[in-house]
Amino acid sequence: MAESSILVIDDEQEFVSTLVRRLRKRGWESEGVLTGGEAIVKIAAGDFSVVLLDMRLPDMDGSEVLREIMKINPQTRVIILTGHASASEGEEGIRNGAFDYLIKPVEFETLLEKLQAAKKRSP
Amino acid sequence: MTSLVDLFTSLFRSKPRLKPAELQTAFRSHYKEFRSLLTANNNALELMAEMEQVLGAGRSFGMAFIRGNCTALTVNIYKMIRHLSKLSDGRYGALDQSFRDITRQLELVIASPPVTTEGAVILSMAEVDAGMVDQVGEKMANLGEVRNRVGLRTPDGFVITAAAGRHFTQANDLEVEINRRLKGLDFDNMEELYTVSAGIQALIVNAPLPKDLEEAILAHHQQVVTDKDSELLVALRSSALGEDSSNVSFAGQYRTQLNVSREFVGQAYKEIMAGKYKSQVIVYRQQRGYRHQDVHMCVGCLHMVDAVVSGVLYSRAPDDPRSRFVMIQAAPGLASHVVDGSGATEQFMVSRTPPYALLDFQSGVGQADGGVDSLPTLTALQTAELAEVGVRLEEHFGTPQDVEWSIDKAGLLYILQSRPLGRPAAEELSEPKGHGIREDDLPSPLLVGGVCASRGVACGKVFNVRSSLDLLRFPKGAVLVVETPYPDWASLLDRASAVISETGQMAAHLATVAREFGIPAIFGMNQALTTLGNYRLITVDATAGKVYDGRVESLLALALPKPNLMVGSPVYKILVAAMEYITPLTLTDPASPFFKPDSCQTLHDLTRYCHEKAVVEMFKFGERYGFDDKAAKQLVVDAPSQWWVIDLDDGFSSDFDPESRYVDLGHIVSVPMLAIWQGMTAFPWAGPPPVSLRGFGSIIFQSTRNPGLDPGVRSTMAAKNYFLISKNFCNLSVRLGYHFALVEANLGEYLTENYVNFQFKGGAADENRRLLRIRLISDILNEFGFRVEQKADSMTARIEKKPGSFLLERLKILGYLIIHTRQIDMVMGDEGMIAQYRQKITADLHILLDNAEMEG
Repeated sequence: MAESSILVIDDEQEFVSTLVRRLRKRGWESEGVLTGGEAIVKIAAGDFSVVLLDMRLPDMDGSEVLREIMKINPQTRVIILTGHASASEGEEGIRNGAFDYLIKPVEFETLLEKLQAAKKRSP
Repeated sequence: MTSLVDLFTSLFRSKPRLKPAELQTAFRSHYKEFRSLLTANNNALELMAEMEQVLGAGRSFGMAFIRGNCTALTVNIYKMIRHLSKLSDGRYGALDQSFRDITRQLELVIASPPVTTEGAVILSMAEVDAGMVDQVGEKMANLGEVRNRVGLRTPDGFVITAAAGRHFTQANDLEVEINRRLKGLDFDNMEELYTVSAGIQALIVNAPLPKDLEEAILAHHQQVVTDKDSELLVALRSSALGEDSSNVSFAGQYRTQLNVSREFVGQAYKEIMAGKYKSQVIVYRQQRGYRHQDVHMCVGCLHMVDAVVSGVLYSRAPDDPRSRFVMIQAAPGLASHVVDGSGATEQFMVSRTPPYALLDFQSGVGQADGGVDSLPTLTALQTAELAEVGVRLEEHFGTPQDVEWSIDKAGLLYILQSRPLGRPAAEELSEPKGHGIREDDLPSPLLVGGVCASRGVACGKVFNVRSSLDLLRFPKGAVLVVETPYPDWASLLDRASAVISETGQMAAHLATVAREFGIPAIFGMNQALTTLGNYRLITVDATAGKVYDGRVESLLALALPKPNLMVGSPVYKILVAAMEYITPLTLTDPASPFFKPDSCQTLHDLTRYCHEKAVVEMFKFGERYGFDDKAAKQLVVDAPSQWWVIDLDDGFSSDFDPESRYVDLGHIVSVPMLAIWQGMTAFPWAGPPPVSLRGFGSIIFQSTRNPGLDPGVRSTMAAKNYFLISKNFCNLSVRLGYHFALVEANLGEYLTENYVNFQFKGGAADENRRLLRIRLISDILNEFGFRVEQKADSMTARIEKKPGSFLLERLKILGYLIIHTRQIDMVMGDEGMIAQYRQKITADLHILLDNAEMEG
C-alpha cells in the first residue's frame, strides 16, 4: 500500500465510490469501505496515512472506530466527515486523536486542501 | 322613532324572566364566551402589531413567520366569530362569508408562486444575453451579454438552465421533502442548521439526473470539447436567479467547481444544485428575505481557462463609487484565490481615461507578513487593457462593475463574471473617513492596521474560528477572529458583532457580505489571533482600523444602525401585500350604515366588528333572555344611583337579600369593583358643568347634558351603567355621551390570571381635541405602568401578571380617570387648559395613591 493512501469510511455507497474515483483522478491513492468493521480490518492490514471517517456507521459508532484506529496506528490522520453536526461529538473526536472535524458536504477542492494539510503533518 | 332605551325596556318586559339563579348560569356561559372573544381579540391585535413592527424594524423574518402569524391570526379571528355567534345565538352569520373572502385572498398572497419561465434545458453561451436572466440566472446572463453584446472574450461553454433545475427537482420529487426538512428549522441552533443542511444536500446529490437531461449535458459538453482539446476540464459556476443583484451578493456563497472532467460533470452539477442549501446560504436567505423557492439554480459549464494570472477589477473603488480610478486586484493562478480570501494579492490603481496610466501599486495586500517585494504580475499594457475593459463594462451596464477575470498562457484576457458593484449605504458615503474623536481621548489600541473591509464600530468577545467545530460553538454577539476570511464563515455573520481576519482584502466574499450586513470588519490585520487571544472583550473600530481592550463607549456611540436587509426582498414584498388584507381599518364608525359584516375588508375590520358587536350583545343579554328585574340591582349610595350591579357569582355578601331591588355599597364584596368605586368617588368632579352633589349618579347624568347628542350610540348602556361582578372580577362598561369606557379586571389565584384592561374611545369634540384627550390619558397611564396602545381616537391600556395590590391601585386610577376626564376633550384646544388638567390629575392621583399607601 502506498504511503500516501486514503481510506474513506462511509455507509453511503454512492458517496464513497464517487469520492474514491475523484481522488484517484487527482492522483491520490484511495480506497473506500462501508462499515467500521471493514475499516478496522483494512487499517490493520494496510498503511493509510489519512482516513476520512463518517460518524454514523451501520455496525459501529464512529468514535469507537476512531479509538480502534488510534490503537492500531496512532500516527494515522483521521478526519471526521459527518452529516450530523454536533459540537460535543466533534470535541470528543479531537480529544480522542482526530486530526480535523468537517461537516458534510465539503467542497472537493477544500477537501483536497484538508488532505494536503493532513498528509503534510503526518510523520 | 322609538328610542333604543324604550325598545330595550319593552323587550325586557315581553319575555319570560329568568330567575336570578338561571340568569347567573346563562350569564356565566355568555360571559365566558365574551371573555374568550376578548382574549382572541387581544391575541389578534398583538399578532398584527408584531407583523407591523417587523416590517419597520428591519428584523429578518422568513415565510415561516408570515405563515405562522397569519395562521394564528385567522384562527383567533375565527374564534371571535364563533364566540360572537354563540353570544348572539347565531346572528352575524354573514361574517363567515367575509372571513372566507379575506382569508382566501390572504392565502393567495402568501402562496404566491415564484415566476417561472419555460424554455430549453440547455443554452449555448453564444445564445445568451442579459434578457435571458429568467432562464440562465444573472451571472450567466451578464456573462452572455459581455460576450455577445459587448464583444469581450469569455470562456466557451453552455448554461444548464432554470428549466433543467426544475426538471431535475420534479423528476425526483425533491421539493416536498426539502420543505419538510426546512420547516421549523431553528436558526439559532448551529448544529441543527448544519445537520439539516447536510441532509438536504445529500438528498439532492444522491438523486439521479433524469436521463434526457444527462444526455443533453454530455452532448453539449462534447461540442465544447471538439472545439478544444480532448481531455477538457470545465468550471461549473452557479448562476442563481437574483443572486447578483446589487447589494444582494449571494455570489460566492454558492459553489463553483473547477477542473471538472467529463465523467464528473453530472455529479458537479448536482453538487452545485445542492449548494443552494448550504448552511450559510440558508441563513443568508433568511436574513435577506428570500424564500427557497424564489431562488432557482442555473449552472454555467465553461471551458477552464488555463490562467497565469487572475483577479478582480472594480470599475470604481468599492467603498467610493465617485472615485476616478479602476482598482485591480491580481494574483498568480486562478481568480478563486482572490475571491475566497485565501491568497495575497497585488493591487493596482489605474486611471479611468486613456491611456489608462498606472496611478498606484501595492504588493502583498491582505497577506499576514505584508508580502515579499517582487515584480508585479501584470504589465502596464495588461493593467491598461483591464482598466479599459472595466470602463467599457460600466458604460454598457450603466453602473459600476465588479469583474472577475483571468489571463491565460497566450496572454488572452477572459472575463469570467461581471456584476454591479454593491453600493455602500447612503449614510456611509456621506460619513467622513475618520470619526472625529481625538486620539488623546481614546485608550491606546491593542492592534492597529489592516484594511477596512466593512466600516463601523462594534464590541464583543473574541472568538477564534479555525475549524468547522468552532463554527458550531460560536456564541452570539462575539467578534469573529480568523486567519483567512473563507466564504464559509459567512454563516456566522448573523451571529457575529464584528470580523477580524489576519489575511484577505476588500474583494474577499466575506467582506462583501459583511458590508451588506453592516458588520464592521478589518481584514489583513497582522497578529490578530495571537495578540487578541480568545474570549477577551474588545471594541473594534473598523473605520479607523483599530482594536481596543474592553468597551470603548465613546466609539460605540458612533455605531451605525444595522441596515434593513429585508426591504424589497420577495418575502418582505409578500408580507407587505399580505398586510393589505390584515391591518387597514376601514370600519371605524359603529354608527355608520356601512358598519356591517359584508363591509369588512380586512382581518382588522373583522376584529373591530366582532369586538364592537360582542360588547353590544353582551350588554343586550337581558334583551334576548328576559332580564329578571331582580338580577340587576340598583346601587344605593346615600340614595339610589344610576349605577347598576349584576352579580355573576359571589360579588354580594352572603347576608344580601337576593329579592331586594337595591344593593347597598356595604353588601358589595367585589374587590376590584370597590377599588374602581374608590377612585371614582375620591374627589368630587370639578365640572364643567357645575353640579350639585346630590348623588353620584346624578352627576354622571347631568354630565351627559344633552341626550340628543347621542343618536349614534346603539347601546342600552346609554341609559344604565353596569358593574358585572364576582368577588375577584369586575367589568364596568360606561357610555357617557360620545365616549365609551370599559374597565375589566380579574384578580385570580395565580399571577398569570391577573389583569386590568381599559378601553377608552370617542368623544364629542373634533378629532384633534379628542386625540389630545387620549394623549393626556395615555401619558398618565403610561406613567403608572400601563401598556398603552393608541389608535385614532381610541386607546387600550393593559397591565397583566402583576400582584393584586398593584392592580387595585391601578383600578383606583382608572375609576378616577373615568369620572374626571369627562368632557375635557371640549377644552383640549387650549394648551393652558391641558397643562392645568394634567397638573390637577397628577396631583389628585398622587394623593389618592399616597392615602392608600398610608392606609396600607
